[in-house]
Amino acid sequence: MSSPAAGPDLDADLEGLFQHAPCGYLVLGPDSRVVQVNETFLSWTGRAREDVLGTALPRLLPVGDRVLWSTHWAAQLAISGTIDEVALEVVGADGRRHPALLTASRVPAAGSRPETVRVILFSAVGRRAYEEDLLAARRRAEQSDDRRAKAEAGLQRLVLHDPLTGLLNRTGLTAEVTARLAAPDTARRLPDSRLALLFVDLDQFKTVNDSLGHTAGDELLALVARRLQALIRGTAVLARFAGDEFVVVDDVTRLQDATGLAQRLLGALREPVVVQGLEVAVSASIGIAVEGEGQGEGAATAAAGDDPVAPQAHGPAFTAGELLRHADMAMYRAKARGRGCWEVHDPDVPDPAADRLRLLDELRVGIASDQLRVHYQPRVDLRTGGLDGVEALVRWEHPTRGLLAPAAFIEAAEQSGLIRELGARVLDQAVRDAATWDALAPSGQRPLNMAVNLSTRQLADPHLVRRVATALDRHALAPDRLTLELTETALMRDPDGAHATLTALKQLGVELSIDDFGTGYSSLTYLQRFPIDELKVDRSFVGGLHERADSRTIVASCVHLAHGLGLRAVGEGVETGDQHGALRELGCDLAQGYLYSRPVPFAELLQWRPVDALAA
Amino acid sequence: MTTALPVPDSASDVRARNFVTTAGDPDGPVLLFAHGFGCDQDMWRYLVPSFTDEHRVVLFDHVGAGRSDLTQYDPARYATLAGYADDLLELCTSMGLRDVTLVAHSISAMMAVSAAVQRPDLFSRLVLVAPSPCYVDDPADGYVGGFSRADIDELLASLDHNYFSWAAAMAPVVMGTPDSPELGEELTGSFCRTDPDIARDFARVTFLSDSRQLLPRLRTPALILQCTDDALAPLEVGEYLHARLAGSTLVRLAATGHCPHVSAPVETARAVQAFLSPAA
Repeated sequence: MSSPAAGPDLDADLEGLFQHAPCGYLVLGPDSRVVQVNETFLSWTGRAREDVLGTALPRLLPVGDRVLWSTHWAAQLAISGTIDEVALEVVGADGRRHPALLTASRVPAAGSRPETVRVILFSAVGRRAYEEDLLAARRRAEQSDDRRAKAEAGLQRLVLHDPLTGLLNRTGLTAEVTARLAAPDTARRLPDSRLALLFVDLDQFKTVNDSLGHTAGDELLALVARRLQALIRGTAVLARFAGDEFVVVDDVTRLQDATGLAQRLLGALREPVVVQGLEVAVSASIGIAVEGEGQGEGAATAAAGDDPVAPQAHGPAFTAGELLRHADMAMYRAKARGRGCWEVHDPDVPDPAADRLRLLDELRVGIASDQLRVHYQPRVDLRTGGLDGVEALVRWEHPTRGLLAPAAFIEAAEQSGLIRELGARVLDQAVRDAATWDALAPSGQRPLNMAVNLSTRQLADPHLVRRVATALDRHALAPDRLTLELTETALMRDPDGAHATLTALKQLGVELSIDDFGTGYSSLTYLQRFPIDELKVDRSFVGGLHERADSRTIVASCVHLAHGLGLRAVGEGVETGDQHGALRELGCDLAQGYLYSRPVPFAELLQWRPVDALAA
Repeated sequence: MTTALPVPDSASDVRARNFVTTAGDPDGPVLLFAHGFGCDQDMWRYLVPSFTDEHRVVLFDHVGAGRSDLTQYDPARYATLAGYADDLLELCTSMGLRDVTLVAHSISAMMAVSAAVQRPDLFSRLVLVAPSPCYVDDPADGYVGGFSRADIDELLASLDHNYFSWAAAMAPVVMGTPDSPELGEELTGSFCRTDPDIARDFARVTFLSDSRQLLPRLRTPALILQCTDDALAPLEVGEYLHARLAGSTLVRLAATGHCPHVSAPVETARAVQAFLSPAA
């Protein structure tokens, strides 16, 4: 029948190829039952032929592959006619699994021959291993993505929230207010509503912190946060602005909604709280600002005031910062009015008392957070033109208003008593810089004499002498390098007390100077009574040296008087070469003023050189 | 609570999301087909022609499957069958479908039950093809679902191993065999294409869901089509469903496997027609 030449051999070859091909062959009949199987498949799986024949292919697969076969691959095969490189495992006779790639095509029924499916299975051990690696890498990548996402979310939370109370912090609050202001009216939580800010400041928090410690303070803040949170509506947000300051943000339709809320908050805070077993009475002051009120007041504020470095931009739009500032200002008005009450921001009512309270609060923070800077104005030896020493002058690097001169804050500090801490810091810094000078100054430079101002309150400070001694000891500065400048007014406030203090200071070895001489009492008796070393002739006389004959007479008398009493004479406020020359002629010892240098930071002081034009 | 996606409020939104296609008589009674796990609407291609003469046939892809809008996939929404059931309801309401006969395969059968329990007014009948209310055995009350928890983990691993072939949108280069059919060649590359990550989620939702508590609440007449030798639903499951779905009809098909609408479309169509005919 077949060709005698090729027939039997070809059949044998084909049979050999089918049985021993380097892959498993299966033919499936109805219901995916195996009707033919090759030797390769049998030896590969260790299964007996009679075991495989008649078995549905899915039964040879582990459960997972079986499900996918039933739900997906069988359907694809039936509909599209082929499936290609399906990754699965075949379960061997011993239960071992053999990774394989399955490719199959369907052969439709023809005549009496029923439909069949041809299947080839490649062993895919190596590919399986790569897949495992790939999948493991993918899962790891997913997990690390997940971790990173979680870390980022955590970080974001940290950035926007206060860890103590879990409330929004200043950054988070600003973002919230900005978002709410930017939201279209339709997105407002209440129709026709405006945004209201309630700035809540605890009245005696510092006392709690100082007397019970920071842990108690933190506990109190957390309690207050919970109490406030319990009172506000779902539409409102509570934030911890800073320290003991909280801000409530809410939408209101009427101003009364905001003031009513303020009243309720104050009432809730009035209930005493128990902190570390002690009952503590808290009260607060609340400032209210409502969106859309008080606009355009910015320009007036920016123009007012004497500080030169306070740019305050006010656009026509209402910003979160503006609204917060208004609420803050109103809060200070409430505080100034007496604690435990609320005030609504009113741009038309200037309130110096509120401004002063705010200034003091800011200064308190400024002193604690190292915003004070000490600048130095050279004092020149009029005989040589060289540097004799410097006068230390305080500056305040205000976070928003820039570098402030003493005129902007010293008076308030003096009245409030803050001057003592401020003065102590300036003294310590000045003494330290004088000691540093010795190490840094060019060789051959004389030691720097340091003059530091003492205010009336400082002079009355019972700890003054100890503070001065401590500063000198700490920085190992010879006492006679330090000159303390006092005003006549300070001396005459309590002459007996001043005398005792000055005597004690003199015993330490420091030098004492009368500042602004000629403008106060100018009582000659104290010059005799107090242990003074130096007189500083007031700048008003020095300034008039060439305009007014009487000025020259006064300066001459002062210098004469000083020398007569064995004191040093210093001219202040020297601005011109003529003034310099006149002081020299009159025999004045030292001089300071813009002619030689404005007050400069310590680092700049090291660069100071005598004024060439005056050398001759 | 999820806030993620806006609820589609127009028919066109839903149509795009679920790649809705329609066929048959626009004025005929509505026959809505819901595909199961591992498939898309192409699965119905052999069955649909039996109904287009008298019915308005509506087909769709679950989000994540076939040509649905993958950008609409929200893992939170689709973490339970309820999300998919909501899609079914949105599809019906946005398209104004009424008196719907919902033909649902595999896991979609339980989405259909859930949808009909929520909105009995929308559905007149349910046809549940190879359904199971719960795939995992419950030793606590002797329920036989056919699988253990470990089996499901293995299924997920199998899915992983086919990750790349599921992901493949590649043009198929099928090695032609001379006697193999031309039929459906255009489908080979795209057949039941599924985003592999979504497929994994869907597998977990499907095989770990337990809808048994829903069954007594169904009031819509249901036909249960059970296959012979279905790897996913043992005979006990069909009996279980029949016992708990009040007024249900149980039909055991001669067809084997899990997809009688593919392997035995004629037998399947007859069973459905018998159920739908007024005489039944």
